[in-house]
Amino acid sequence: MSTILTAARHELLASVRAKAPYALVAAFLGMVAASTFIGWRTSVTVTSIYDQVLADGLTTQPNPFTDVSPLYYVRNTVIYVLLIGSLMAATLGVQSALRDRKAETAALIGTRPVDGRALRAGRLLGLGLLLAALVGITQIITWISVSALVGGPLSASETLAIAGFGVITWLLLIGFAGIGVLSGRLLRRERTALLAPVVAWAVIAFVIPQLGTAARPVSLLNPVPLPAQDSGAFSWLSQVLSPLAITEHFKTASAALLESSSTGSPLASALIVALFACLALAAAVLIRADRTTGGTHE
Amino acid sequence: MNETLTLARKELLDLRHDRIVWIVLGTLGVAVVLSVIVASLDYRAQLADYEAYVAQVTASGSGVTPAAPQLFPLTLLRGGMEYVEVLAALFALMIGYGAIAKERSRGTVDLLLTRARSGTSIVMGKLAGLAVLWAAIMAAIVVIALASVAMIGGATIGLHEVARVALAGVAGWVYVLFWSAVAVAVTTLTRNSTGALLTLLVAWLVVVLVIPQIGDTMDPDNQVPGGLFKALAIAKTDEHAVLDHFTAYESARNGLEVSSISKLYERFTFATLGIKDTYNGQSLAFIWDGTFRYVYGALAFTAAALTLAAASGRRIHTLRRS
Repeated sequence: MSTILTAARHELLASVRAKAPYALVAAFLGMVAASTFIGWRTSVTVTSIYDQVLADGLTTQPNPFTDVSPLYYVRNTVIYVLLIGSLMAATLGVQSALRDRKAETAALIGTRPVDGRALRAGRLLGLGLLLAALVGITQIITWISVSALVGGPLSASETLAIAGFGVITWLLLIGFAGIGVLSGRLLRRERTALLAPVVAWAVIAFVIPQLGTAARPVSLLNPVPLPAQDSGAFSWLSQVLSPLAITEHFKTASAALLESSSTGSPLASALIVALFACLALAAAVLIRADRTTGGTHE
Repeated sequence: MNETLTLARKELLDLRHDRIVWIVLGTLGVAVVLSVIVASLDYRAQLADYEAYVAQVTASGSGVTPAAPQLFPLTLLRGGMEYVEVLAALFALMIGYGAIAKERSRGTVDLLLTRARSGTSIVMGKLAGLAVLWAAIMAAIVVIALASVAMIGGATIGLHEVARVALAGVAGWVYVLFWSAVAVAVTTLTRNSTGALLTLLVAWLVVVLVIPQIGDTMDPDNQVPGGLFKALAIAKTDEHAVLDHFTAYESARNGLEVSSISKLYERFTFATLGIKDTYNGQSLAFIWDGTFRYVYGALAFTAAALTLAAASGRRIHTLRRS
C-alpha cells in the first residue's frame, strides 16, 4: 500500500512540475470556459432567427428553444471533453510512462524490491487524482459561467447534473490516460508513443461511429447526436460495433445528464464508459513492458 | 542548391526505412476505402428506402412519386477527404517533427553542417525530401480514391473525375506541406523535443479540430437534429433571406472558419469534387470563381510556414547536444 501511495504522490509532483503538457491543459480549461459562452451566444442568435421567421410569417412551428434548460449551454463542453480532454489525458499518460525512460532511471527502479504492478497502480492513482482536480476545475468554471448567464445560481438538481457530468468525464479521461500509459510503456519512440493513442482516439471517435451511423467523420464533433442508421448493413454494424463507440456513449450519457436530446440508453452508455475506463486501467497496470525500459530515441 | 538536393535525397533514404511512412499510407488508404464503402452502403440503403416508399405510394393509388435519390460518384469521397484533412495533418506533423528531432537525438547536426553551408540549407533539404514523400503519398491516395469509387461505388471514371480528384490531391499536398513546414520550424526553434511535440499537438488540435468545430457549432442550422430550417419547414430561398438579417453573426462565424487552413482545404476540395451542392456538376471555371480566395489563403499560409521553416534554420545550433 505504501508503494502505491508513494508512487501516487511522486506522480502528482512530477506531473505538476513537467511544464510541457501545460499548453494542452490550458487549451482544455480555456475551451471549457469559452464553450458555455459559445452555447449561449448561439442560442440567442437562433432565437432571434426564429423571431424573424415568425415575423415574416414563414413558419407556424413552435420555437425549438423555448424553455430549454440552463444546462443546454453546457452541451458544447461535452465535445471539448472528448476532443481536447481525451487527448490531454492520453498525453499525460504517455508522459507519465516515458518519464523514467527519458531520465534513464527505469532500469535503476527495476533493481529495487518494488512490485511493478503496485508502482504502476500508484502512478495511475496519481494521474487519476490530477485528472479529478482538472475535471473539478472545469465543473466549477461551468457552474459559475452558466449561473452568470442565467442571472442566478443553478438549482440543486442542475448542480447535481453537472457533478454527474464531471464523473462521466473523469471516467472517459482516465480511460484515455490508461491508453496513453500503455502506449508510453510499449513503444520505443516518443513520437510513436504519442501518435498511437491519438490514432486510437480517432478510430474510437470517428471510424467506429461512422461505420454504425454512416455519419461523416467531422459531423461527429457536433453536440447534436446522430441517430444510428437502421437499414441494411448499418443496422448490423451499429449493433456489433456499439460497445466500441466509447465517445458516442459518452455523448449519450452526458446529453441525458445535461437534459439535451439524446439517442440510446444513457445508463447503458455510462456503464460502457466505466467499463472502458476499467479495462484501460487494468491493461496499463497488468501488461508488462520489459523490452522498452531504455531511453527514447527518434 | 546542390547541397539542398543532397540533403533531400538523404532524407528520403531515411524515410524509406521508417515504418511510420507505411503506417501513414496504410491508415489513409484504409480510411478512404472505408469511407467509400460506408457512403456506397448509405446510398444503397437510401435507394432501398425510396423503392419501398414508391411501392407503397403505387399500392395506395396515388400518382405522385418523389424524386429518386441521386448519386454523384465523387461525393462518395467526402468522408475520405475529411480523414485526409484530420489525419494527414497529424501525420505530416509527426513526420516533420521526426525529421528534425532525430538529428537532435543522434547528435548529428555537426555532421550535417560539414555537408551544408547553413542551417537553412539543412532545413530546406529536409523539407524538399518531405515534399517528395508527400507527393508520392498523395498520388497513391488519388489512385486509391479513384479505384474505390470505380470498384466499390460502381461509377464510371472518366477524364473529368480523374482531373478533379487529382486537383484535390494537389490541394492535399499543399495542405500537408504546410503542416510539415510548421513541424520543422517548431522543432528547430524549440530546445526541448517533448515541448516541440506537444506544441505541435496543440496546434493540430486547435487548427484542425477546434476552430472548425466552433464554426460548425455556431451554425444556426446545426442546432436541431436534421437542421433548424428543416424543423421550421422553411424553404432554401427563404432561409437565405432570413440569414441576410444576421450578416454580422454569419461573417464572424465564417471569419473564424477561414482562419483555419483545414477549412480552406475542405472548402476547395468539397467544391472541386462536387460534394457541396452549389458546385455539383459545375465547370472548373465556375468552381475557381467561387473558391479562388480559399486557394490563395491556403497558399499564403503554406508560404508563411515555409518562410518560417527556412528562417528557423538559422537557429539550427539549438539541435546540438549540450
